[in-house]
Amino acid sequence: MIERLRRDVRALPVIALAVIAYGIVAHASAFALQVGTYAGIFATGAIGLSLLLGNSAQISLGQAGFFALGAYAVAWLTTSAGWSFIPAAAVGVVAATVVGLGVGLIALRFAGHYLAMATLAFGLIVYGVFSQLDAFGGVNGITDIPPIDIFGHALSNAHAYWFAWLAAALCAWATWNLLRSRTGRAFAALSGDPLAAEVAGVPVKRYKLLAFAYAGALAGLSGALYAGYLGLVIPAAMGVQLSIDFLLMAVLGGSGNISGALIGAALVAGLDVAGHTWENWRLVAYGVLVVCVVIFFPGGLAGIYVRRGRSRREAERDGFAQAAAGAGTHAEAPRERSVPAAAQGESPLRIERVRKRFGGLVAVHDVSFTLEAGRLTSLIGPNGAGKTTLFNAISGVSAPSAGEIVIRGRSVTGWPAHRIVALGVGRSFQNARLFADLTVLENVVLGAFRRERSGFVADLLALRSARHDEREAVERARATLRDLGLERRAGVYARDLTFGERRRVELARAVVSDPWLLLLDEPAAGLNAAERATLRRDVLDLRSHGVTMLLIEHDMRLVMSISDRVLVLNFGELIADGTPETVRNDPAVIAAYLGDERAAGDMRSEA
Amino acid sequence: MIVFVLQLVVAGLTVGSAYALVALGYHVILRATRAINFSQGEFVVLGGLVAYTIVHVLHASPWIGLIGATAAGFALGWVYERIVLRPAARNGDIAVIIATIGCVYILLYGHALIWGSLPQPLAPFTGAQGQAIHPGGVAIQEQSLWVFALLALAFAALWLLFDRTTFGKAIRAAAVNPVGAQLVGIDVNAARAASVGIAIALAAFGGTLIGPITLVGGTAGIAIAIKGFVGAVAGGLDSPMGCAVGGLAVGVIEKLLAGWLPYQAVDPVVYALLLLVLIVRPQGLFGRKDAVRD
Repeated sequence: MIERLRRDVRALPVIALAVIAYGIVAHASAFALQVGTYAGIFATGAIGLSLLLGNSAQISLGQAGFFALGAYAVAWLTTSAGWSFIPAAAVGVVAATVVGLGVGLIALRFAGHYLAMATLAFGLIVYGVFSQLDAFGGVNGITDIPPIDIFGHALSNAHAYWFAWLAAALCAWATWNLLRSRTGRAFAALSGDPLAAEVAGVPVKRYKLLAFAYAGALAGLSGALYAGYLGLVIPAAMGVQLSIDFLLMAVLGGSGNISGALIGAALVAGLDVAGHTWENWRLVAYGVLVVCVVIFFPGGLAGIYVRRGRSRREAERDGFAQAAAGAGTHAEAPRERSVPAAAQGESPLRIERVRKRFGGLVAVHDVSFTLEAGRLTSLIGPNGAGKTTLFNAISGVSAPSAGEIVIRGRSVTGWPAHRIVALGVGRSFQNARLFADLTVLENVVLGAFRRERSGFVADLLALRSARHDEREAVERARATLRDLGLERRAGVYARDLTFGERRRVELARAVVSDPWLLLLDEPAAGLNAAERATLRRDVLDLRSHGVTMLLIEHDMRLVMSISDRVLVLNFGELIADGTPETVRNDPAVIAAYLGDERAAGDMRSEA
Repeated sequence: MIVFVLQLVVAGLTVGSAYALVALGYHVILRATRAINFSQGEFVVLGGLVAYTIVHVLHASPWIGLIGATAAGFALGWVYERIVLRPAARNGDIAVIIATIGCVYILLYGHALIWGSLPQPLAPFTGAQGQAIHPGGVAIQEQSLWVFALLALAFAALWLLFDRTTFGKAIRAAAVNPVGAQLVGIDVNAARAASVGIAIALAAFGGTLIGPITLVGGTAGIAIAIKGFVGAVAGGLDSPMGCAVGGLAVGVIEKLLAGWLPYQAVDPVVYALLLLVLIVRPQGLFGRKDAVRD
C-alpha cells in the first residue's frame, strides 16, 4: 500500500512542473488559461471521488449534487447576502460534508448497485431542487457572482488559474497525508477484506462514512471554486453529465491514485474543450473510453506507473532494509509485554446460554462457560459442531440470536467486532484472512490499530501526533515480527507468503496490540510438523505472559498436551468440560468422535 | 375529480408498463449475473427507435416493428453480455457498474448521432394516432390497451420460460450455482448471455409499446432507468411479480404527482421515493429480507 502510494506521489512533482509550465505558456491566451483553470477546479472534486472509489471501494454517481451545494452556497451568499468568497465557500464545503455524511449513512446499508442508483437519484434530486427554487433563480440559476476575492483582493483570470491549482495541490497534500496515515491503512484494510478489517479493530462503517463525507467536501469545494470563477451557476451544468464527468476523471486517471485524479481532470477538461464542436461524438467517445478502461486498464493511466510489479532487486533491497532495521534495535532490551492483570476478579470471558440460529438450524444451542484468566482453554468438537459460529458470536462478527456474552464484566452482546477488539480481544481465522495487497509489516501494523489514537484531522494535516503514532505502531509491529522470527519477511506482500507464514503473520497481527484474550481458530491446520512445533512454542510463550486463550483445534496431540482445560462441542451443545485427562476418557466425547476414527485414535493414543 | 384521477391512473399504468418491463429486465440480469445494468433505459429508447425505423423508413407494419425491435434487443443483449458485462466482471462489481454507465453514454449520444436528438412519433399498433375509447368519460387510448395486454403477455411468457421449461431452469441453475450448473452440463456463459438477451429484449419491447404514446428517441433513458429501478426496489428486485407491480405503481404515482405538482418537480419526488424505499423497506413489498445486500 505504502509502496503504491509512494509511486503515485512520486508523479506529483512532475505534474506540478507541468501545471507551472502550462500556466506560464498559456498566460498569453485567455482561452488556454481558462481550460487550465477548469482542470484545476475539477481536479479537486476528482481527488475526492478517486479516494471514495479506489480506496474505500464505494461508488457515487451523484458527485454533481455535492458540487452544486458548494456552487450555490457561493453564488447565493456572495450575491444575495453580500459575503466574500472564502466564508461562502466554507459554508458550501460544510454543507457538502454534512450532506455527504447523510448520503454515506444510506450508503452503509447498501453495497454496489443499490448505492450507485441511490447516489444517481441523489444527484438528480439536488438538481431538481435547485431548478425548482425561485430563491436560487430556478432554471436560470444565479448570475453576476463576483469574482473570487482573497481578503478583499479580487482575483484576475490569471490569478484564478494559480488559485485553482493551489486548492487542488492542498487537497492532494491532505489526501496524501490521509492515505499514508492510520486512516489510509484503515481504507486499505476495509477495501481488501471488510470482515478482517473489523476484526483487526478498524471501525469499518465509520471509515466508509468518512470517505463519503470527504469526497462530498472536495466536490463541494470544487463547486465553490467553479461558481466564483465562472460568475454564473445554472442547474443544467450540474446534472448527471457532471457526475459522470467526475467518474470519468477518476476512472480514466486510475481511481485510488492522487496523481491519477489530477491527470484525469486535466484530460477531461481538455477533451471537453477540444470536442466541443462535436458534442455527440465526444460523449460517445467518453463512453467507449470508460468501457475500455474498466475492462482493459482497470488501473487507469496512473496504473502504468503505479501498479508495475516490483523488480527483484527492489524487493530484495526492501527485505534487507527491513531486516537491518530489525537488527538495529534487536540489541535493546526484550520488548515489554504489558502483563495483563490476570487477577482483577473479573473473568476474561463468560458466555451465558448463547444460542445462534440460521433459519431453522440451531448451530449453537444454549452454550455457557466461563474462562479463567491466564489459562489456555481448547474448544474441540467434530466438524459442524458450531465452534467457529461460537467464535464469531464472541468476537462480534455475527451477533448471537440469544444469550449473553460478558467480557471482563461488561456485557458485549451485539457489539460490533471492532469494539470488542478495542477491549483487548484478538482473534485469528481458520483460513488466515490477511490483506493480500499489503505487506507483512503493513498487515501487522493494522493489528495495532486500536492502540493508535490519532484522529482524522491529525491525519489529514499530518500533525506531529499522527506521525508519532505512526512511528510507534510501526515499531511495535517490527518488534512483534522479530519476536515471531518474521522480520526478514516484513517487506513481502501477504499474497506471496506460504500458508504457514500467513498463519504466523496473522498471529502477529492478533498479538501486536497486546490482547489479554486471544481467540485462535484452528491455528495448526495446514501446518507442517516444524511449523506446529513453532506454533506450540509461541502459544505457550503467550500463556506464560498471562494471555488468556481460547483455541479451536483438531490436532488432538497439540490440544491434549498444551490445554489447561478442554471444552467439547457437539451439534451445538457443550457435552464435556474438564481437564484434558477427564475429557479424553469421557464416554460422550468418545462417542461424538467415533465417526472420526483418526481423531478418536489420537485421543486414545495420548491416554 | 374521479374522472381526472382515473385519467391519471390510466396514463400512469401506461408509462408504468415500460417501467415494469425495465424492472423485469433488472430482475432477469441480476439473477443471471449479479449486476445491475444502468443502460437498461437506453435500450428502451433504442428499441423504440429500431421500431420507428422499421415502421417509418421501411414502411412495414407496426407489428413487424415490435417483433423486429424485440429480436434486435435480444441480439444486442447477447452481444452486450459478451463484450461488456462479462469482461468487466473480471475486474469486480464496481467495474461492471461503471462499464454499464459508459454504455449509457454510448447509446444515448450514439442514437442521437443516427436518429437525431429530437423525439419522433411512432405509429400506434391499430387505429389513428391518439384514437381512444371513452368508458365512463375516461379516455383510454387504444394503444394503452395494447400496452396492458402485451405487458401481461410478456409477463406470462417470462413465467412460462423460467418456471416451465428446461431452458429456463438451466438459466436459473446457472445463476444460483454456476459451478454446479457446469457440472451437470449447462453452458453457464450461454445461459448468462441468453438472460441478458431476454432482459434487453424486454426493454426494447417496452420502448416499442409505449413509443406511440410518449414518442421515441430523446434523452428519457436515464429517467426510465431510474424509475424502473425504483419500481423494482419498491416491489422487490428478487420477485418478478414485485418488479411488475412496482413498475406500474411508479408510473401511477408519477402521473398522479404530475396532476398537482409543477412538471419539473415530479421526477425529483419520484427519485426521493427511491431513497425512502431503500431506507424503510429495502427488500421491497414482495421481496425476501435476505435478498437485500448484494
